[in-house]
Amino acid sequence: MALFEARHLHKRFGQQVVLEEINLSFEEGRLSGIMGPNGAGKTTCFNVLTGRYKPDRGQVLFDGEDITGSPPEKIVRRGISRSFQIMNLFDEYTVLDNIVIALPGIRKKLTNPMHAIDADSEMQDRAMDILDRVGLPGRARTNSKSLSYGERRALEIGVALATEPRLLFVDEPTAGLGADGTSRLADLIQSLKEHTTIVMIEHDMQFLFDVADKISVIHWGQVIAEGTPDELRANPWVRRSNLGELN
Amino acid sequence: MFYDLIPHLINGVALGLLFALLALGFMLIIGVMEVINLAHGALFTLGAYGAVVMMAPDGGFPYEFMQPYYDLPAIPRYVIALIVGPLLAGVVGMGLEVCLRRTYGADPLYGLLLTFGAALVIEEVIRGIWGSSEYYLPTPKEISGGFIFGDLIYSTYRIYAAIFASVMIGMLWLFLNKTPYGAVIKAGAHDSEMVRALGYNLKVLRLLVFGFGAALAGVAGVIMAPIWGVRPVVGVDAVIPAFVVIVLGGVGSFWGAVSAGLMVGIVVALTAAFLTDWSLLSMYLLLLLVVTFRSRGLAGKASVLEA
Amino acid sequence: MDYPTKQTKAWVTPQIVVAIVLFGTMPLWIEAVGLYQYLGVEVIIWMIFALGYNLLLGYTGLPSFGHGAFFGIGAYAYGLAQFEVWPNLWFCLAAAVVVTAAFGAATALFLSHRRGIYFALMSIAFGQIFFFIASKWTDVTGGEDGLLDIQRLPVEFGAMSLSTRSNVELYYLCFALFCVLVILLWRLTNSPYGRVLRAIKQNEMRVSFIGYKVSVIKWSVFTLSTAIAGLAGGLFAMAQEGAYINIMSLQWSGTIVLMVLIGGGFVSFWGPVLGVILYFVARDVLGAYTEAWLLWFGLMFMLLVMFKPEGLAGMWRDLLGTLVTRKAEPKGNPAKVEG
Repeated sequence: MALFEARHLHKRFGQQVVLEEINLSFEEGRLSGIMGPNGAGKTTCFNVLTGRYKPDRGQVLFDGEDITGSPPEKIVRRGISRSFQIMNLFDEYTVLDNIVIALPGIRKKLTNPMHAIDADSEMQDRAMDILDRVGLPGRARTNSKSLSYGERRALEIGVALATEPRLLFVDEPTAGLGADGTSRLADLIQSLKEHTTIVMIEHDMQFLFDVADKISVIHWGQVIAEGTPDELRANPWVRRSNLGELN
Repeated sequence: MFYDLIPHLINGVALGLLFALLALGFMLIIGVMEVINLAHGALFTLGAYGAVVMMAPDGGFPYEFMQPYYDLPAIPRYVIALIVGPLLAGVVGMGLEVCLRRTYGADPLYGLLLTFGAALVIEEVIRGIWGSSEYYLPTPKEISGGFIFGDLIYSTYRIYAAIFASVMIGMLWLFLNKTPYGAVIKAGAHDSEMVRALGYNLKVLRLLVFGFGAALAGVAGVIMAPIWGVRPVVGVDAVIPAFVVIVLGGVGSFWGAVSAGLMVGIVVALTAAFLTDWSLLSMYLLLLLVVTFRSRGLAGKASVLEA
Repeated sequence: MDYPTKQTKAWVTPQIVVAIVLFGTMPLWIEAVGLYQYLGVEVIIWMIFALGYNLLLGYTGLPSFGHGAFFGIGAYAYGLAQFEVWPNLWFCLAAAVVVTAAFGAATALFLSHRRGIYFALMSIAFGQIFFFIASKWTDVTGGEDGLLDIQRLPVEFGAMSLSTRSNVELYYLCFALFCVLVILLWRLTNSPYGRVLRAIKQNEMRVSFIGYKVSVIKWSVFTLSTAIAGLAGGLFAMAQEGAYINIMSLQWSGTIVLMVLIGGGFVSFWGPVLGVILYFVARDVLGAYTEAWLLWFGLMFMLLVMFKPEGLAGMWRDLLGTLVTRKAEPKGNPAKVEG
C-alpha cells in the first residue's frame, strides 16, 4: 500500500476551481515528482496535502490514516513536512537555531519552560547532523538572513528535515537558482533520497527526470499523466502539452 | 412603538454613515500603504478644530484680525469650514505619510506604532493651541434646530448629516470605480508593481491617498462636531466605532464597511434610546457576535496585514 | 543587553545582578538625585507590568493596545478581595493575578487566532469593553469615583508581619516580587517556549509547519502577560491606595506600548525596564519645565520608530558594538557582534 494517498481532491477559491479531481499516491522510499505548467495548481495541491488549506472534497490518507483537513501541526507531528518555494525562515535566528527549533526533541520540551536549548548538547548535535546533510555545516552560527539564495534554499529543506519526517514535500527547490546552485541542489536531493521519501514540485524538467522515480503531471487541476520518467518521455499528452523541451 | 423609533433610527443612520466614512478613509490607507493608521482619530479631531476656527469667533485666532471674515454670512463661512477642516487634516496626513516612508517594507507593526505616536503628538499640539476645554461648532440656521413631523420631533442637523455622509460615500464609490484614479488606487491596493507598470509614481500616489484618507477623516470630524462637541480626545470616541466597523465589515470591503457602519450606528442609537449608559457596549457585543462566527467580518478577504 | 543569541542554563546573569543591586539600593539614593520615593514605587510596578507586556509585543510580536484594562482589573480585584473577602496581602495579590488572568484567558480565546491588524483592532475593542464596563458598573467599581480606601496590607509570614505603609516599605515588597519575576521570565524566555514565541513573531506560518499549535501558544502567552499585568495592577492599587478607572483607558494602554518600545523591547529582555525608567524620569524632569512634556515624548517616540526601532537597548548595543570593534579592529559589522 502507498505511504501517502490523495483521493478525488477538489478545491475552489471563490468561483475559481483550482483542483478539480486530484488522485495521487506516493510509495515509501521513492522520490515522486509533480510537474505542470504555471497556474496548473501544483502549489495549491501541496498546500492541501500538507494542511495549509482544507480541501472542499476528497480524502488524504497517510500511512492508512485519514488526515483530511488536519491542521499543519498535526500533519507535521504525524511525520509529513514540507519546504516552501517562497522562503519561510526565521530571519532573526542563526542557521543552527532555525534547525534546532524544528526538532521534535525540542518540541517535546516546550512544556518544560526552564529547559535551556543551548545547553542541550544532544539537540545541538542532532541539528549539526542535519546541517551536514544539507551542506551548511560551516554556516551554523551565521544569521539566516545573510545566507545566499541557494543556501537559504538548502536551509529551507534543512528545517523541513529537522521535524524528522517520514515524507518530505519539497516545493520547487531550484526556482531562481543559477546552473551552479541547481546542480548543488540536485546533489542534495540525490543524497536525501537515500533516507527519506520525497515528493517534489519542480520546474526544471531535466532535473526532475534525472532524480524522480515517478512523475505526475498536473494540468487544469487534474492529473493528466503519470509514470516513470521513461514512460512520460513517450507520453503523447506530455509531449503535446507545453511543458517545455525535453532532450 | 415602531413609529416612535423613527427619529432614533435616523440618528443611527447618520451616526453609522459617519462611522463608515471614517472607516473608508482608514481602509483606503490600509489598501495602498498597508499601514494601520492609529492617528485617524486625531486627524478627525483636527478637522473639527479646523472648522471651529472658520466658524466661531473664539476659535483660537486673534479676533480683530479675523473680524472682516466673521462678518460674512454663516453659510459661506460654513462652506469654507467644510473645506478648511478636511484640508488641514489632509495636509497633516501627508506630513505623516512622509514620516511613514521609513517603515515601508518593514514589519507593519512599525507603521502602526509610528501612527500611534503621531496620534499622541497631534493631540498634544491641539491641547497646546486650543487648550483642553470644549468648543462648540455653530452651524447655519438652515441646518440646525428641529422640526415636527407627525407627532415626533426630528433634528434637522442629523438628517443633513445623514444626507451629507451618503453623498460623500456615493462620490467616493464613483471615484474609486468610475475614474482612472480609482482604478490605480485599487491596483495599488493589490499590487504595487502594477502601479509602476501603469506608469504612475507610487511615491506620489501614496502621498495623495494618505492625504485623501486623512481628509475623509477630517470631513467626518467637521460633520460630527455639532453633535459631539469638539475636545482634544473626541477622536477616540469616533475612531473606536470606526475600528469596530472595519473589523465587523471586513478589511478591504467597501460595502462591508458601509453596511457595518449602518449596523453599528443603528444599534448604538437604539440602545441609547432605552439604556443610555450602555449604548456603546451594544456595539462591542455586536462585534463579538459577528467575529465569533465570521472571523474576517461580514465581507473581509485575507489580507497581507494579517501576516 | 540583547536577546541572548546563546541561551544559557543560568538562573542569574550579570545583568540580573546589576538590576538587583541597582534597584535594591534605589531608596537609598533616589532622593539624592532629586527624585522622590513614591516615584520609585511607580517605576518598579510599571517595570513589572512592562516585562509581562513585552512577552506579547517584543517576543511574540502581538501589539495589544488594550493591556491597560488588565492592569486596571488587577487593581479592582485587589481592592474588592480586600473589602469583600479577606484582607490578607497574599490572598489579595493572588486574587488580582487569578481574576485578571481569567479575564485575560477569556479575551485570548477571541484573539489567539488573529494576527496583525485584526489582533490590534480587536485588542483595542476588548480594552474598551472592559474600560466601558468598569466605568458604568458603579456598584462594583465605584464608577468614575473609583474604589477608595484600599489598604497597603502588611506582608505576613506566619507570625512575622512587615508593614508596607511607607513608600520605602512598599517599594521593597514590589522589589522582591520584581526579582522573582525577572528570574522566572529570564528562564522562560530562554527556554524552548521563549524561542517559539520569537519564532511566531518572525514567521507564524512556519511555526505551525514545524509542529506547534500556534493559537494555543498565543493564547497562553496572552494569558500569562495579563496575569503579570494583574499583579502589577494589584500593587498599583496598594501604591495609590485606590483603584481608578483612568488606568484602563486607551491612553494608558498606549503608554505601556510606548514605554516598552522606547526602551527596546523588540531587541532586549531589559528594554521594558529601560523604557519605564525613561518615561517616568521624563515625566518628572520634562514635566517640571513644560506642560506639554507628552508632546516631546511623543515626538521622541516617532523619531525612534523611524530611525531606531530597537530603542534604548538597541543604542546601547550599537555603542558596545562600536567599542568592541574598536578594540578588536576591523572585525566586521558591529550590528553582527554576538553577545
